[in-house]
Amino acid sequence: MISDANDVGQGALLRADLCIVGGGAAGISLALALTGQGLDIILLESGRLKPHAPTQSLYDGEVSDPKLHSPPDKYRQRRLGGSTTIWGGRCMPFDAIDFESRSYLPHSGWPISLEDLLPFYPEANRLAEAGRFAYEAKAALGADAPPMLRGFRSEVVSTDGLERFSCPTDFGARYARRLRVARDVRVLLGANCTRLELDADSRRIGEVEATTLAGRRFAIAARAVVLAAGGLETARLLLASRDVAHAGIGNEHDVVGRYYMCHIAGNVGTLEIGGDTSGVRHGYEMSPEGIYCRRRIAVRGSEQRRLGLANAVARLHFPRITDPRHGSGVLSGLFLARPFISYEYAKRVNDGTHGSLPLYANHLWNVLTDPLDTAAFLGHWIARRTLAQRKFPSVILRNRSNRFSLELHGEQMPHADSRVSLTDKLDALGMPQLRVNWRYARADIESLRRTLDVIAQEVERSGIGRLSYDGGTLEEDLMRFGAYGGHHIGTTRMGSDPRSSVVDANCRVHSVGNLYIAGSSVFPTSSQANPTLTLIALSLRLGRHLTQRLSPRPVAVPDEVAA
Amino acid sequence: MKVLVLGGSGYIGSRLCAMLADSTWVSAVSGSRRATASASTVRVDSTDAASMKRALRGMDAVVNCVAGSAPAIAQGAHVLVQAANEVGCQRIVHLSTMSVYGAFEGEAHEDTPRDPSIGWYAKAKCDAEDAIAAFATHGGSVVMLRPGCVWGPGSELWVGRIGRLLHARRLGDLGAAGDGWSNLVSVDDVCAAIVASLGMEARGAPLVYNLAAPDSPRWNDYFVDLALAIGATPVRRLSPRQLQFDARLASPALKLAQIALTKARRGSRHLPDPLPPGLLGVFERQLHLRGDRARQALGWRCTPYTEVLRSAATWFMSNDPVRTGAAQRTLQVPPT
Repeated sequence: MISDANDVGQGALLRADLCIVGGGAAGISLALALTGQGLDIILLESGRLKPHAPTQSLYDGEVSDPKLHSPPDKYRQRRLGGSTTIWGGRCMPFDAIDFESRSYLPHSGWPISLEDLLPFYPEANRLAEAGRFAYEAKAALGADAPPMLRGFRSEVVSTDGLERFSCPTDFGARYARRLRVARDVRVLLGANCTRLELDADSRRIGEVEATTLAGRRFAIAARAVVLAAGGLETARLLLASRDVAHAGIGNEHDVVGRYYMCHIAGNVGTLEIGGDTSGVRHGYEMSPEGIYCRRRIAVRGSEQRRLGLANAVARLHFPRITDPRHGSGVLSGLFLARPFISYEYAKRVNDGTHGSLPLYANHLWNVLTDPLDTAAFLGHWIARRTLAQRKFPSVILRNRSNRFSLELHGEQMPHADSRVSLTDKLDALGMPQLRVNWRYARADIESLRRTLDVIAQEVERSGIGRLSYDGGTLEEDLMRFGAYGGHHIGTTRMGSDPRSSVVDANCRVHSVGNLYIAGSSVFPTSSQANPTLTLIALSLRLGRHLTQRLSPRPVAVPDEVAA
Repeated sequence: MKVLVLGGSGYIGSRLCAMLADSTWVSAVSGSRRATASASTVRVDSTDAASMKRALRGMDAVVNCVAGSAPAIAQGAHVLVQAANEVGCQRIVHLSTMSVYGAFEGEAHEDTPRDPSIGWYAKAKCDAEDAIAAFATHGGSVVMLRPGCVWGPGSELWVGRIGRLLHARRLGDLGAAGDGWSNLVSVDDVCAAIVASLGMEARGAPLVYNLAAPDSPRWNDYFVDLALAIGATPVRRLSPRQLQFDARLASPALKLAQIALTKARRGSRHLPDPLPPGLLGVFERQLHLRGDRARQALGWRCTPYTEVLRSAATWFMSNDPVRTGAAQRTLQVPPT
């Protein structure tokens, strides 16, 4: 059921088998996985179904360098559904290599492998409404699906992989009815977790304190607690609960909040492909289940290992939007529409280029001289995106020239100095605010440089075209927008050694017997992949662990099916 | 055991009679309004007491699969009980429906309260249950079965109609509007439950069993699976707006046209299927029908979902040769 936290009695103590803090992709997936298992579950959600400015401003905080990282209240939504209410919907699983301990990549290695997550990915895919769990072009699109680049064959670089797109599904709106119907799940809206109270021996969480903006305060005593509040907020909650453990919960070895990673991303270079444009698949294709899919270029795992590269992918992209020399009415139209696009989506259109009158005039000229393409694009956009339930994922231009830039999305290496910490400023509920000090390293850029070199070499070798890029501006190109927004990874990393990690292979905080974490903050490394699908899969895996651990009776015998 | 199957020409009844033809301990007579009398069939109007009594004479048991209008269902049940009492037929297996749970959402077990408020069908089926239950309190043996959506090869309602709507892109992935449990149960499994029920002794109070396959998916999953199997791809994502438009505006017109054509004795087969608002209600309702009791008491086992899907899709395509070519080109996408 779903109810309002302001209806809970002042000072009440609620009891449950499990308390989940946070109703986003992780918390909702976990609650849905656990319903029907004979457990009493309370899910605390700070927000409600609609955005609410005072609730959202509980995310206010500082960033050390505004050029490198967006403000902490951006790319995050404090409401039921969490940041899935604004996400782009890109889904893909992690690769096997992501879980490996790689000697050339310090602090890499998970205590679990891809095999441990594979059983949960199909259901994660289903929850994200991204269709079947098929991420190879032929498996997803059919054995006769044409290649991404006609004539390209390489043992080093793969073009068979693809990414799939969620609607993008807002988990709050999509699954509210399931939560409402579930008699064993009690969702409390407007309930902010303001403290995790450790028992005196500091081995388990005794109570979770919840506070509403209207001043209602109560507590939940649960056999187990799962923090699913997002990659930044979960660290903040642990660090702020310091009345018993002075450095914060789970922070005996100063790991909480450190190793903060996003992704290294940007548009670079020029890829020119010979032959006619029909030989290139640069945009979206639809799978039989009606899911938008897009091809991607990646250096194969074996080659990454051999060459010592971090994981990365490249997509075929269009030229820089802000530079009117592209001559595209569509891109110029986007540039002119900047003021009407939300912060999160306008960011990569606002690349620091200041709008001058001649610049606007040049863009306007592009729109006026390219009216057919611009109108066709607008029509397509309104029909397939604005009005559609399953939204066309992003702007794709007609391929007229076989010339592209590469849109890179690379793994960021873990560094202890890239971190979030608490400031002295308090939010409206008295919680210390967060300071984000995101840093990248030269090695991150160099790995992408070598990745580009490998792709360029293979493109040339196969004779289909040529990839060139300006090595001198690579770092600037990749850092133009700073950290890739919304991917909050690593702040409570998973590992087997409590001195260098916060949670164990079951996502349990090493030093606290009944405290678990769901979400991308437990990823020890960031992969090339966007984090959502994997954090859902990991939440479902946590669900199985909690069922086994908390179940009041032998795990409910599933209905049998005759063989 | 001599058994009269009322509604013997319907989807479930005819399948049951075919199945019982091979039985060593049951000999079945199919009763229906349109039947011409023979050794294995009898003409019976379920709302007419005299006709019912004639048909029931000499029968050890009766299986009530009557479908149709509200009077045929509700009044028919009263007539049946009265006739059975008069001719001394001691045993009724009555086919009810999950619709008796009405607007209930959550896990529906047999003791979940009934709710006749969601339409004439639920009301008529609740009335019929009450009439049949009274037969048990007077000493008769009653087994009541409440199946979910009965499907399989030959199912016009849940395969034929759905398949055509998928091809017309009027169904597909419905999002939250298709998140309800399908509670599908194959016609063969329902018939097997009926046969098992014929062997049950139930004096005093009726035995009630829900029938739904434990692996039946949510509607969206079924729509996508069926669409892939019959080549209605790419599957379309429909908005609540489109669905409401179809159900509230297009479907009433189609229904009227269907009635008019039938009255004028012209076939309405080539008309598009209506998508009534009540059906949309079924697709979004989070009612999970639990068949555990039938599995325990009747030793009932269900055919796996994927197996029924395969045979249902094959039937759909053999009835629709134009589509067969398209379907052969469909992709083998791994199931989830």
